[in-house]
Amino acid sequence: MSARVAVLVFPGTNSEDETLRGLHAVGLDAALVHWSQPDALPHFDAYVLPGGFAHEDRVRAGAAAAHEALMDPVIEAAQAGKFVLGICNGAQILAEAGLVPGTGPLRRPTAAFAPNASGRFASLHVHIKLAVAPDRVPILAGIEPDAVIPAWASHGDGRLAAPPDELARMARDGHVAFVYADRHGTPVPAANGSALGAAALVNRAGTVLAVMPHPERDAWTFQHLGATRRREAMLEPSGGIRLFACFARALNGRAA
Amino acid sequence: MTTRAFAVSLTIPDNEAFTALETVGRLGIPAARIARSDIWLFEVDEGATAGLRDAVASIETIFNPNKHRLVERASAKPEPGEVWIAARDEAPATLVGGRAIPGVRAIRRRTGWRLYDDEGRPVPEATLARAVETFLCNPAFQEALR
Repeated sequence: MSARVAVLVFPGTNSEDETLRGLHAVGLDAALVHWSQPDALPHFDAYVLPGGFAHEDRVRAGAAAAHEALMDPVIEAAQAGKFVLGICNGAQILAEAGLVPGTGPLRRPTAAFAPNASGRFASLHVHIKLAVAPDRVPILAGIEPDAVIPAWASHGDGRLAAPPDELARMARDGHVAFVYADRHGTPVPAANGSALGAAALVNRAGTVLAVMPHPERDAWTFQHLGATRRREAMLEPSGGIRLFACFARALNGRAA
Repeated sequence: MTTRAFAVSLTIPDNEAFTALETVGRLGIPAARIARSDIWLFEVDEGATAGLRDAVASIETIFNPNKHRLVERASAKPEPGEVWIAARDEAPATLVGGRAIPGVRAIRRRTGWRLYDDEGRPVPEATLARAVETFLCNPAFQEALR
């Protein structure tokens, strides 16, 4: 039986359907869980926090969501070692909840996905490269060393920011899971000004992953600019789906 | 050079302040009302302060008369009972809404917060500090100014 994955829906989440579709495509038994249903969450094996604007990003991106009841069982599950994946706004929520980098007390963030250095919303196609050894991210089982994943950056607050000593610790202890790169895997400066070129953070155990760009928006060829109009080709999987496939492999490996 | 501060607050319901109130309530912090304002700081040449208020009021990025109240503050520091949240690495701007204001050399922005008890009084300093530490400020990239 496939592992069960909850896709959380906060008020203002807008990427839940693409995320759910990506999880289904890799064979996972995934379901949406509305913000009014926190009691349903403990029954799942893993959690995905999709992108959007939870609570309109009021006060700070992810801040209000990190403190709401829907996150209580997720935090508890993360502490118990269950896998938690956050994408974009989900990544911001995980940072505000203190689950990534996970170097401080819960809900006392030591890092943030802060407003982009440009002060503007960024919407661009990017590639992200695995910046740690594969065994550092058990949440992505079977991911190849130096894997390059295509995705769409779509955020106003995607710049990793933290005090210098915390950034040094994140770099030293392998909390920067992915960095921005070109399609060949050569790291490039982050367009959003992200410290360490970071596109994703992982906790110490490698079980909670916060990815800023959206792999689910480059999961099928029809999502490409200038995509082919041949229906069969449009529905072919694209590179972003690989991240979900690794996530599924990790989950099913645990369930086996 | 002098620094002038303007507070812009909503005259319509402030959803952001309401969300903040809900969240601090969930954190067990006793507050009955939260007021939020955007604080704009302008470093301006001494001789160019006269028309500053009118210039600020004419920039819709800052002030919309249909929904905002604009108040020039007596000083460029938070008032008693108020905390300003600022980005640590904020680079001062010289334009706002794509416009320059004559005589203005630098523009900075803060978010001002005030918490009130159920009798309309500012909450004790310790309560405000708790709200700041647990929710209103992310010290990873922000600082709280009082």
